[in-house]
Amino acid sequence: MTADLLIAAALVGLLAAAAGAVAPERLRAEVVSVLTVVASGCGLAVALGVLRSGRAAVVHTGRLLPLGGLSLRLDRFGALFVAVSAVVAISAMIFRLGYESHALSSRTASCVLPLFVTALILVPAAASVTTFLFVWELMAITSLLLVLVDHRRRSEVAAAAQWYAVMTQFGAAALLVALVLLATHADSQSFIAIAARSAGVPAWVRSTAFALAVVGFGSKAGMVPLHVWLPRAHPEAPGPVSALMSAAMVNLGIYGIIRVGDGLLGGGPAWWWLLLMGLGALSALFGALHAATSTDLKRLLAYSTTDNMGLVLLGIGASGLFASTGHPSLALVALVAALLHVVFHAVFKGSLFLSAGSIQQASGTRDLDRLGGLLQRMPVTGSLFLVGSAAIAALPPLCGFVSEWLLLQALLHGLPSSDLALAIALPVGVAVLALTGGLTALTFVKAAGIGLLGQPRRAQAVETREVRRSMWAGAGILATLCLVFGVAPFLILPAVLDAARTVTASHVLDPLVRGWHVGLAGAPGALAPGLLGLGLLASVVLTAGIRRALQRAAVRRTEAWGCGRELQTARMQYTATSFGEPLTRVFEDVLSPAHDLDVSHVAESRYYVEAATFHTSLEDAFERHGYRHAASALGWWGRLARRVPNGSVHRYLAFGLVALVVVLVVLG
Amino acid sequence: MSSAYSSTLTLAAGAVLICAVVVLWVTSTRSMLIVVATQGTALGCVAMTLGVHVGDAGLIATAAVELAVKGLAIPVLIDRAAGGALDRERRPLVNVPASLVASAALIVLAFTAARGVATFVGATSGALVPVGVATLLVGFLVLVSRRRPIFQMVGLLLVDNGIALVAFLCTAGVPFLIEVGVSLDVLLAVVVLMVLAQRLRSEFGDLDLDELRELHD
Repeated sequence: MTADLLIAAALVGLLAAAAGAVAPERLRAEVVSVLTVVASGCGLAVALGVLRSGRAAVVHTGRLLPLGGLSLRLDRFGALFVAVSAVVAISAMIFRLGYESHALSSRTASCVLPLFVTALILVPAAASVTTFLFVWELMAITSLLLVLVDHRRRSEVAAAAQWYAVMTQFGAAALLVALVLLATHADSQSFIAIAARSAGVPAWVRSTAFALAVVGFGSKAGMVPLHVWLPRAHPEAPGPVSALMSAAMVNLGIYGIIRVGDGLLGGGPAWWWLLLMGLGALSALFGALHAATSTDLKRLLAYSTTDNMGLVLLGIGASGLFASTGHPSLALVALVAALLHVVFHAVFKGSLFLSAGSIQQASGTRDLDRLGGLLQRMPVTGSLFLVGSAAIAALPPLCGFVSEWLLLQALLHGLPSSDLALAIALPVGVAVLALTGGLTALTFVKAAGIGLLGQPRRAQAVETREVRRSMWAGAGILATLCLVFGVAPFLILPAVLDAARTVTASHVLDPLVRGWHVGLAGAPGALAPGLLGLGLLASVVLTAGIRRALQRAAVRRTEAWGCGRELQTARMQYTATSFGEPLTRVFEDVLSPAHDLDVSHVAESRYYVEAATFHTSLEDAFERHGYRHAASALGWWGRLARRVPNGSVHRYLAFGLVALVVVLVVLG
Repeated sequence: MSSAYSSTLTLAAGAVLICAVVVLWVTSTRSMLIVVATQGTALGCVAMTLGVHVGDAGLIATAAVELAVKGLAIPVLIDRAAGGALDRERRPLVNVPASLVASAALIVLAFTAARGVATFVGATSGALVPVGVATLLVGFLVLVSRRRPIFQMVGLLLVDNGIALVAFLCTAGVPFLIEVGVSLDVLLAVVVLMVLAQRLRSEFGDLDLDELRELHD
């Protein structure tokens, strides 16, 4: 039954792609969106069926793909990711109905978008090396084409796509080697057989495969230092695509790391997980710092994706570390916290990216320094953005709070430890989590405060109007889920727990207290998000009541924060740049800001300034110190290699002779 | 009977290799063509000896085709391509003594590398397999080290003769159709190269292949 639905999801996805290629332009967006929603709905139904029953959905045909055919097997762990992708895809497609983009309505884009969604649903179901690599590449290539959609209008798009193409192919090459290495040593390419035989594989092969998998999947998940494509490609993609990429595609990087590390290899030595924790901590801090200082709304969101994936990697690393040092119960809790954060991140980041898409379409810019006062002009979209911001900043009673709290609990309860690695790694992890949380709060105070509140910073912004209903409906579904999961995490916790148990084959009894409150079994401290929400609501009502009671007295109305001034202009407000400026100053060494101040004086006297312009730009430290050098080294190598084939027939023939002689010497 | 068979076979196969080395030694086109014709004839003799020994009519027919195509047709065609001009390989990329030393090294390599095949096939014909490999390598050396288009054609022919020799010795009878097909392919390649060489001469005068490097991008 579930297997049939899985096939149906794939077939409807292909049908949607075909429809996108042939439908007339007038109907294209509607037909493609509706069919893709149906495909995602089938995917969601399979995922929920598998999560509920625990029986994997299996599809196997000997044909369709070379080397062993198409092989799909969706277990509970994969089903969790399929469910997340499907929900994000449904919201993004509803959003797509109202999204006005000529480029996204082109024949190619309409054909590729459903394929991308189908690939997102099939990747967690792939059960053999060839099938996995096929759907993985399908996902990479379709997303690359979708990033490129707007390249005629803006030149940055092509550059972003180029970065993305290089990084995704680099990652795919690493994955290919890792998976083929495992498949050769296990003498089978089916994931089940690899998992069963991986214990007998030599240690160096296991470690190499894990390291390569971290590189390959990490680049997809936006892990520092392989994140450089993410803050370029995610902002340049059209609204619904950037939501799909940032809320669904990056998750599959996490999926891959857990599937290979915990599933196929069945855990490993402590240093693997310490490495992963280190990379996660670096990603979290670096992403949070850049998000806090970005002034481009979508770039800010993209950096915050790197930050959140860093936290997830921190959780996965901690889980592996606990498992390798003999704390299976804590290992499960940390993994559950990480997976929960993946799910919640998808929900709030999807909603934020969709709202940002609405804002960009309505106001024509995503530069925070030129936005402002949007909450009055776009009340629904603005409120949805606020809900997403509150969730990502981990404010109760929204979902971000629950997962970060659980992660913190897992790290804290491992603390009184005799193991040296744990004793060092855990406090660092807690500190990173705390600092990242603070920076994230600052980031979204900036994004919401500068973009939504205050006065419009330019003339066009005054005329901004609310977007179409289907657009805010798409973002609204995800924002509602933020609230529902935040108040009632018990709706999703059992599914996440089952998923984590499936992949680690863990037999630990329920390590969590579940119900209206959440906590670790046998440990002090519990969280009741519902009560917290109720308390918050009560305090809001109470404050409003007190305010109304006091308002009976005579009130003088004037500008808020106006220091009594009557006139408040848009230029008196904080801008996004000035808001982040103190932080830029503190972290000058990491962010290396470049300032450019240009002052022109009045001709008569140098004491009077006529105009002053100020530019500031931040560069990615990894890009400047790492990637530039790597690129120039590659260019040098390429020029050197070009000298070898100089056009002489004799030289080419000599290559053949030398190759033949080498083969004979080696084999003979 | 058996000893006559083995000495004939060894003699003919040896002639094939010696002819290949002599191609490296000579510089004039005319004498080179005589060597090539000799080599084609020797190859035909190898096939004929094997055919008579096994008593396979197909192999004997193949041998006849070999003699006609490689001993006669191809040398004549190459001679036509040369246009009767008595031109010489004046400055090869690797000079004659050096290429002879290199060919000695290649022959040693062929004998060490093909030892496995030799023991695998066994008997007289197996022991001669390295000779075929050596011919192939020497032919490749001619391709690499000589500038004139005619010599390039001959190099290609040597490579093909080496392959044919190995095929005859290993399988004691390549199917008739396949061998005829391969011979005709080589004939076709020679014709194409011949046309190319004539066009080159009419287009650029008397050019070396080495100077054609404008088209590589």
